[in-house]
Amino acid sequence: MEFLPQLITSVVMIVLIMHVLLIGGPAYGIYVERKIASWAQDRIGPNRVGPIGLLQPIADGLKFFMKEDYNPGNVDRNLFLLAPVLAVIPAMLAWATIPWGGTWLSPWGELSLGVADINVGVIYILAIGSLSVYGITIGAWAANNKYTFFGGIRATAQMLSYEIPMGLCVLCVLLLAGSSRPMTIVQDQIGYWWGVIPAWNIFQQPIAAVLFFICILAESNRAPFDLAEAEQELIGGFHTEYSSMKFAMFFLGEYMHMATASAFLTLLFLGGWHLPFVDYLIWGGAEPAKVNLLGVLLNLGVFIAKVFTLVGLMMWVRWTVPRFRFDQLMRLAWRGLIPITLGLLLITGVMVYLDLTGYLWLGNAALLAIVMAVLPFIPKGADVNRKVGLRGSRFSPATD
Amino acid sequence: MNADLIITSLAAAGQANDGLDNYAALGVLLLIAVGFGVFNLVATSLLGPSRTGPVKESVYETGMNPIGSARKRFNVRFYILAMTFLVFDVEIVFLYPWATVFPNLAPGDPLGLQFLARMLFFIGTSIIAFLYAWRKGVFAFD
Repeated sequence: MEFLPQLITSVVMIVLIMHVLLIGGPAYGIYVERKIASWAQDRIGPNRVGPIGLLQPIADGLKFFMKEDYNPGNVDRNLFLLAPVLAVIPAMLAWATIPWGGTWLSPWGELSLGVADINVGVIYILAIGSLSVYGITIGAWAANNKYTFFGGIRATAQMLSYEIPMGLCVLCVLLLAGSSRPMTIVQDQIGYWWGVIPAWNIFQQPIAAVLFFICILAESNRAPFDLAEAEQELIGGFHTEYSSMKFAMFFLGEYMHMATASAFLTLLFLGGWHLPFVDYLIWGGAEPAKVNLLGVLLNLGVFIAKVFTLVGLMMWVRWTVPRFRFDQLMRLAWRGLIPITLGLLLITGVMVYLDLTGYLWLGNAALLAIVMAVLPFIPKGADVNRKVGLRGSRFSPATD
Repeated sequence: MNADLIITSLAAAGQANDGLDNYAALGVLLLIAVGFGVFNLVATSLLGPSRTGPVKESVYETGMNPIGSARKRFNVRFYILAMTFLVFDVEIVFLYPWATVFPNLAPGDPLGLQFLARMLFFIGTSIIAFLYAWRKGVFAFD
């Protein structure tokens, strides 16, 4: 029974984080996103339900339950019902191995403030996270509609393509930490170089961090990579035929996936629960690996704050960058991200062997220089994106 | 052949086998997730109204009469892409164990060079495959 305190802690963490993710993700995430959208477009946004629209998510949630749950006649009924559940389950499982609060030196021994502190944690997140493609694909196929079908194959191709650079970015971090246990990866980043720069992986592997952010945007089907539900071309994409809570479950999945992916990025590159420079004031140095109750609560708050800052960044990106075209999306993944991440992996491997991990930022800079040098020599292929001058317009007057 | 050494270095990195106790909470979470999904499905079908009709039953095609079936053939490029994905994803899966063992070898360990050379060869073969696919136009989606 010596694992009982850990199990109780894990269940408490399940309840706590589930609420944080459900309330901060789908419910108030959508509210904040609508507000950000309205600010970006000089509108007011939701402001009718409650003060400044704060009760809007509750009204939306109730409305989703009360709306008609309609199954159109031509759908593949079993798969049609299964798909939303398949979309929401991986999203609710994937965050389990994130070490939200570090290790608590409690009266009942050392307890880790995560749901499961397992040695394959990073691989678990990747594996469960990529299961969400099944919900989208099956739902799109089962709806038996041309728009959902196109949305489904687009989503599948996109999520498959961006999984490879994502996995390679993760590998670059694993090579630094030498472990796939999330707790160890975070503890590896707690500390400073020359007392001033936090030893976060983003400063060692800046290219991997940026590419990883691009990949999580694509993996969670967010703009500028929301090809799967491009409303101008495909109505609603894969969820065109869905209504009521079945439709909402796809959204729950997407927003929880966003939060999980942000937590993954925080864990890999942004030092997890590490709050730089404040730990000098509290512990008189880099934060120790095991802290007391106040320490873990601080850790928890810092981790969640970082996660929601990243979620806010993803929303900001959505309302700033226009959507990619499908061939541009595929070109970015296969001709851009994969060669670069492969090169980064080779450089990281060699530098780890030579024990030069402190100079990885130089390796990153070298890779950037190589990419810039090679770029002009890459055969471009058919240039479908060429500019066709508007003959006779104000910008290109007709010459003949 | 060097199993002992690998196990020692894994234990040093906190990678040793950690029993099933840590997975118990995952089971709880799985139950909650499945319960949540099924509850939503049942609740929404019980709570909402239910009316139907021949037009409402038909496929949604922006209000037009549906033309043909949606079960159509699609572009073969998606198949080729999926196969290429399989090659690379399996390659990455093989790289994870390497990435957890290789950095834990002591600097100057003769095994280190061996591990690195083998993986560089492995990645090199995939790069050749990648370049071949590129030349063959697998990634040309335009």
